[in-house]
Amino acid sequence: MSGKRSGLVAVTALLVLLPAVGLPPYYLHLLATAFVLATLASAWSVLAWGGQISFGQATFFGVGAYAAALAAIHGVASWAALALGAAAGAAAGALVSVAALRLHGAPLALATLACAEIGRGIALNWEWLTGGGAGIVGIPALPGPASSPRAAAYYVALLLLIITLSVFSWMTGSRLGLALAAVREDSERASLLGVNPSTWKLAAFTLSGGLTGAAGGLYAHMVRVVEPDLVFSSWYSLAPLIMATLGGPRTVLGPAAAAIGLYLANELVLQPVVPALHQVGYALALIAAVLFLPGGLGGLVVRRRRAAP
Amino acid sequence: MSEPRPLIEARDLHAGYGLAQVLRGASVDAAGGEIVALLGPNGAGKSTLLRVIAGLLRATRGGLLLDGLPIGPSPPWEIAARGLVMVPEGGRAFEPLSVRENLELGAFLPSAHARAEETIREVFALFPILEARQRGRAENLSGGERQMLAIGRGLMARPRVLCLDDPFLGLGRDVADKVGDAIRAVAARGVAVLLAGQHVRRLLRLAHRGYVLEEGRVLIEGASPALGDDPRLARALLDVGRDIS
Repeated sequence: MSGKRSGLVAVTALLVLLPAVGLPPYYLHLLATAFVLATLASAWSVLAWGGQISFGQATFFGVGAYAAALAAIHGVASWAALALGAAAGAAAGALVSVAALRLHGAPLALATLACAEIGRGIALNWEWLTGGGAGIVGIPALPGPASSPRAAAYYVALLLLIITLSVFSWMTGSRLGLALAAVREDSERASLLGVNPSTWKLAAFTLSGGLTGAAGGLYAHMVRVVEPDLVFSSWYSLAPLIMATLGGPRTVLGPAAAAIGLYLANELVLQPVVPALHQVGYALALIAAVLFLPGGLGGLVVRRRRAAP
Repeated sequence: MSEPRPLIEARDLHAGYGLAQVLRGASVDAAGGEIVALLGPNGAGKSTLLRVIAGLLRATRGGLLLDGLPIGPSPPWEIAARGLVMVPEGGRAFEPLSVRENLELGAFLPSAHARAEETIREVFALFPILEARQRGRAENLSGGERQMLAIGRGLMARPRVLCLDDPFLGLGRDVADKVGDAIRAVAARGVAVLLAGQHVRRLLRLAHRGYVLEEGRVLIEGASPALGDDPRLARALLDVGRDIS
């Protein structure tokens, strides 16, 4: 275990030092985007821990992005705008959970999918608030050194990912994680042990929504524009699902590692080589994970470790 | 002989699934320290009765008293919080979790959580095999070990009333004996135990009293050794055989 810990510290130290060694801004942006996606995949896995499969994480991503963008263009400090994005995402998560209280499995997945569409519809139509289809422009960049314009977003994305992984890791060993695992396995038997499934599902949705909303707020500061079709895009619903499924949602590091690996492989390898087909990589990864890797890549590591004497 | 006040009392329960009426006015009770068997043919309503008592199914008529106080239609987690725990049939575990995590889940309620370490030692004393297996995953347990885990998990909540649905289902004689001994030990601490099941002889050996259910009503009730000799018990169990053949 301490070997694993020192490995994590080394990777983190390396990632912290990367901007200082003069990595070009494009690569910093690419990595920051990968960290955002890794945060989304981990937040999706928080929900999946309780057996709730979301097809609508874009709801919380979009709500967080719009909340942070609106705050930022009205002069709120960046850190406070990000916190607002997290709070708005958490509130949206709680709302969806209460609305979908009696749903699970495929009906829940469809309901979350619909929620993202509702979010997009609201962003399109409430022009007085959201600017409609034109979106919100002129979101200030995160404050940072002029010499390295992408470094600030890179560090905030890294910090958000570390926070998310810490929360996820804490959750798996906590009362919340135990209750969610019981509800996932058999909600009726869980209820006989004193677990009210609705309470803990609500907690998971709120937590997942908050982390996803923070990522949305950060993303708004990175691209400095939000539009309905951009931040409520089904990409932000499907990418976390695909990446977490590939990485193994029952492991703490699997979803984030798969998100970073898959995104970088697509952007750096597939995109330059076969530009027209680069999205196919995600589809193939999902199919492969579902067919050949129950439990994802992370599950494979866990199984191997368990099989070892 | 003065009857002790019942800890759990079901009065005139009516319940069913959709149009299928299963319970048609069943009344049973159990006092603290007492083991009470619910007998009867398949479909007589034994499991349904336990499901209503545990809050998994709502009664359409009738009521429940726990320690003399009415428990209205409450969800299962609230009934569990009041000290009534039900272990459903089959003794299924939360399989991907470890044996110890399964037991910790049993002590999920705050009152039980505070005493979880003490209770887990008591459970290990009843079922030493669980202590040996505590780090392993529940899915690797044998059928008998799973049943012990299910009962142990129920005990982790430190219940005042323990309902067991067919705790001997699929168990060999040795394991069933161990489970029976554990049930006696639990009752000896003042817990009211309601047992439903098919293993009539074993249940009657274990229980102080029994009820024979037929078509959702109590056909006979009585002290345990005598009840086994009641010709109506054999007839109730045989009637179903005749229906099938």
